[in-house]
This record gives sequence, C-alpha cells and structure tokens, in this order.
Amino acid sequence: MANSILIHNPRAPFSQGSGLKASVLDHLAGKVVGFIDNTKPNFNHLMDDLAVTLLEDYQVRSVIKRGKRVQSIPAPSAVVDELVAECDLVITGSGD
Amino acid sequence: MIEVSTVLVPTAPKQIFVEKKQLTLESLRGRVIGFIDNAKPNFKDLVDDLEQILIAKYGARKVIKLRKRAASIPAPTAYIDQLAGACDLVITGSGD
Amino acid sequence: MAVTVCSTAFEVLGRRQAASLGCAELPIVLVPHPFGSISRSALPKIAKEVAAQIANLMAEKNTSRASTVLVDHCEMLNVSSDVEIFHRLCIEQKLSDGLPVIPPTPERVQKMLAQSARKPEEVIARLAPAFGDATVARIATNAVMAGCTPQCLNVLIAAVEAIACPEFNLQGIQATTNPAAVWLVVNGPIASALGVNGGANCLGQGVSANVTIGRALRLIMQNIGGAFPGDMDRATHGQPGKISLCCAENESVSPWISLHVERGLSTETSSVTAVGFSGTLNMNIHSKNAHEILRSIADAMAHGPSNDYWCGGEPWIVISPEHAQILSEAGLSKNEVKQHLWEGSKMSASRMADKDLERTRRTRREELGEITAHTKLSISRSASDIGILVAGGEGTHSVYIPGFGNSRSVTRAVDAI
Repeated sequence: MANSILIHNPRAPFSQGSGLKASVLDHLAGKVVGFIDNTKPNFNHLMDDLAVTLLEDYQVRSVIKRGKRVQSIPAPSAVVDELVAECDLVITGSGD
Repeated sequence: MIEVSTVLVPTAPKQIFVEKKQLTLESLRGRVIGFIDNAKPNFKDLVDDLEQILIAKYGARKVIKLRKRAASIPAPTAYIDQLAGACDLVITGSGD
Repeated sequence: MAVTVCSTAFEVLGRRQAASLGCAELPIVLVPHPFGSISRSALPKIAKEVAAQIANLMAEKNTSRASTVLVDHCEMLNVSSDVEIFHRLCIEQKLSDGLPVIPPTPERVQKMLAQSARKPEEVIARLAPAFGDATVARIATNAVMAGCTPQCLNVLIAAVEAIACPEFNLQGIQATTNPAAVWLVVNGPIASALGVNGGANCLGQGVSANVTIGRALRLIMQNIGGAFPGDMDRATHGQPGKISLCCAENESVSPWISLHVERGLSTETSSVTAVGFSGTLNMNIHSKNAHEILRSIADAMAHGPSNDYWCGGEPWIVISPEHAQILSEAGLSKNEVKQHLWEGSKMSASRMADKDLERTRRTRREELGEITAHTKLSISRSASDIGILVAGGEGTHSVYIPGFGNSRSVTRAVDAI
C-alpha cells in the first residue's frame, strides 16, 4: 500500500499585487479618452471607429491616440505617464 | 531505510549472431575489386587513386566502381548483387 | 479608469494576468477572434458594440461585482509515494511538463539548497506573466522535479535572473502565440564540472545536465511564472525546445573567444546565457570555402515570415567546429563573420506578406526610415546583434536559430560553489 509523503509545492501563489480597486466613471460625457494601440491588425481601425463613436454618440470631450512599437513589449513609460495625466479613461488592446 | 523494488529492464538485449569466418585473400594479384562510393566529399577521388594503385602496384585485374545516390541510404540491392557476383574484394566508404 | 479590449481567445490570459497584477477587477470588453481577419467594413459595427459595453460599465458602477478569489497556497503538500499516482496528480494539477517528475521532498530540496550560499527565502525574481516569486527554495523545488543534480542550482538561479531582465521580455515569450522558448548556454568551468554537453548532439537528448537544466527552467517558467499551455501560454504550436534546451559552448575547439568572454566576463567565470528563440534549422553545408559557407548561412537566414526581420531581432548561429575552423583559417574573426552574415542576409521586403510588411514599416520606421517593398531589410539592427556560438561534434552542419524578435539575450555570472 502506498504511503503519503511531504513535498514542497513547486508553484508560486498568485501575486497579490497592490490590490487596486478598479475606478469607474459615472458617465462618458465630457471625458478625455486615451487609447494605446497594441499594433495588432485592425486595432488601429477599431480605435479610429471607436473614437468617432465616443465623440459623436457619447459626447466624450476629446480622444488621445498613442501606440506601442510592437505588441509584445510594454508601452513606453512616457506614453503611460501622459495618458494617466491627461485621460479619464484609457482603452488598451490585448490578444489577436 | 530505502525500499527496494523490482523493475523490468527497458533495454533490448544485443543480437547474437553466429560469427561467420572472415574471408581473406592471399593476395590482390589478379583479383577483381569493387568499390561502393558513399557519395561523401573526396571519396570519389580516393577511389580513383586507389584504383590506379591497386592495378599498377598490386596487380589487381580489374576495378568496378559504383556510387550510391546519397550517403544516408543503403546501396541498391542490384549493386550488392553485382559486386558480390563479380568481385573478390569490395571496399566501402563510411563517415565524413 | 482603464478598459482592455481583448479578442475572445485571449480572455483567459487577460483575466489571469490582470489578477496577477492585482487588478482582478480590470474591465475587459471582448471582440471576435481572430480580430485581424475581420474586414474593414465590419469594424464600425463592432466599434459601436464596444462603445456600448464601455458605457454599460458606467451604469453598472454601483452594482457589486464578485471579487476574484485567489487560490489558497500551501508551501508543502501531502502526496502519494506511489510514482504513478504522483505522476497523475502532477498532470491533473498542471505541475509537470507531461513527463514524470521526481517528488521534491524536503530532504531532496535541502540537498539542492546546500549548494547555494543564498537564503532559501530570497526572491531572485518575479516571473511573468503571473509574476510569481521565484525564491531560491522554489527554484530548487522545480530543479529536483526536473531531475537536476544539486550542483545545477546555481546555474538555474543565474538563469532565472537572466530571464527576468526587462530586455529579455519574458512576458512576451511566455504569453505569445509564437513558438518561443528559452535556450540556455553554459560557459566557463561549471560547464565541464556539471558535464553540460557542447559537443556531439549538444542540442539533443541523452546528457542529463543538458536535459534536466533546460527542463527545470521550463518547470520554473510554468509553475512560478504561471504560463501553462492553453492558459496564459498562448502558443499556437509550441516547439520541442519548450520541453528543454540547454547546452555548453564547445570552448576547447572554438577558434574564437567564447560567448561569456565576448560579453565581458573572464574565462574563469562561469556563466549562463538565456536566449529567446523560435526554433532550429539545420544547415548542411559541405563547402570547404569560407565565403561559400557564409553565403549559404546568410541565404538560410533570410525568410519572409521571420520575426527577426520585422522587429530587428537577435538571430543566432550555432557554428559546427568544422565550419568554424574553415572560417577562422580564412582569417575571419567572430565579428567579421557576423558582419558578413548581416550584409549577406539582407532581404527584400517584398518577400513579406502584405500585412507583415505593413507592421514592419510601422515597427522599424524609426530605425530604417520609410520602408517599401524594394527596401533591403537587415535581420537585426546591427551585425553585433547576431549571436554566434561554436558547438557540436563532427559534421558539416551548422544550425540557424531564429530569435523571438522582441527579446535580447542576457548573460549572468553563476555563483561560485
């Protein structure tokens, strides 16, 4: 009959991070919306169409569009800092 | 105390061949010598040089030279049959 | 406020990674996958749907959302001592690479830890994409599972340091759809001390040090970094190198300075270099002429769907001792070989498919200016970005190892035992 043995767990616990609570806006009207284009095919078009929709249908005040050089690296700190400072909402792309 | 258990051996036994007596020639004089060129670089030139030496210096009667299409496949059965039927000695190439 | 627009096939990665970064409540809005295949005319409708979903988030502001429950974690587990039952458990719990592993008992882990002067609880790095803490103890645990000898621990600690460097871009390598894997190259005295093979079949199976060190790193990347295939690891096919790839440089037969000396370390220092790569290609070159060999290698490097060409990447060549000797006897230094390959592998941009050329234009505009179909693209930004390693046994083969593209190899010294 097999016994039981004790082993070390090879897995790490999920990182707790900083436990940030997602902040949510009351409404889109009058807000500044930023985009980080992840450079995947079609995201630039989605970004353009979404910008038009948000401005025309949701009365967003203005839109700032920024991008990454390639999708598999983080956005430059300067881009992140600019959007954090200027925008009420930032929309990013993920996946294919 | 470390437990001992019985396991099956994963390797196959070596094949046991009845050892055939190696045929030897008393001399090369008057013999027909065959070559199977393994198609590797320089072997063709070696065979050509050996042909001259075996005939001129060792009195071989004739040399038959056959070349494989590629190094990593066996010689065709027809080559084997031809050389086995016609030759007293067959020389092959191996490696690079 | 932040929102991520995510294609459906990547929702799992998106949500798991948001939770790993402490942002479990990050709103994710889904679009069809593959998003890039949708016609331009169909996108405005999708944009309106996305906008509506974002607007709905505002309306739901005051609605309580279920918070993500983090899985309880124990440092020790009670498992069956039966090897088959343990193997099945590891498969079910996704703790292994599919092959049986050695149970990391306290005794085995302790033996491993005795080889390092570092404290077991020291965090060497946090590994993407789940950003788990790679402690010395956890590295040792995965090393035991992989079958490493205790003396391999310091190599693995240095390897973990290397892959966690920003320029290596572990996040990209772990989560990509590309068949990206990590190749470890061991240099210096520790290579022979551990028996790491840099000779015949060095990229293949059979030598325990090679296979187990590479395997241990994969287990670390999976169990600590969190990238399990089909989950956060989004590889379309993967490749055999994802199981293990580790070798030594064949320093004793190389006519040039070795990789770690090239990178500023002394000959006597032991090191490990981590390379993000996409596969291997055999180059069977019988020529004995140096320039013919270089021309053949350069020709083999050039291919339209290459990540290196659209990114300006870091391709590698494993040069056989025979080819290296021919090149060296022709008077070529390692740097001159790199220069010849860089020039010879320049490829017409017209060989790329339209969308690949489009992204190349965008990605390398700053570096190369305006790129047209007639532009001759370099495989890397400079010749010095081509990696050269002399390794292997007898034979007329060198190996082309394309890079991941958006990754740079990192060399780290190995702690002395």
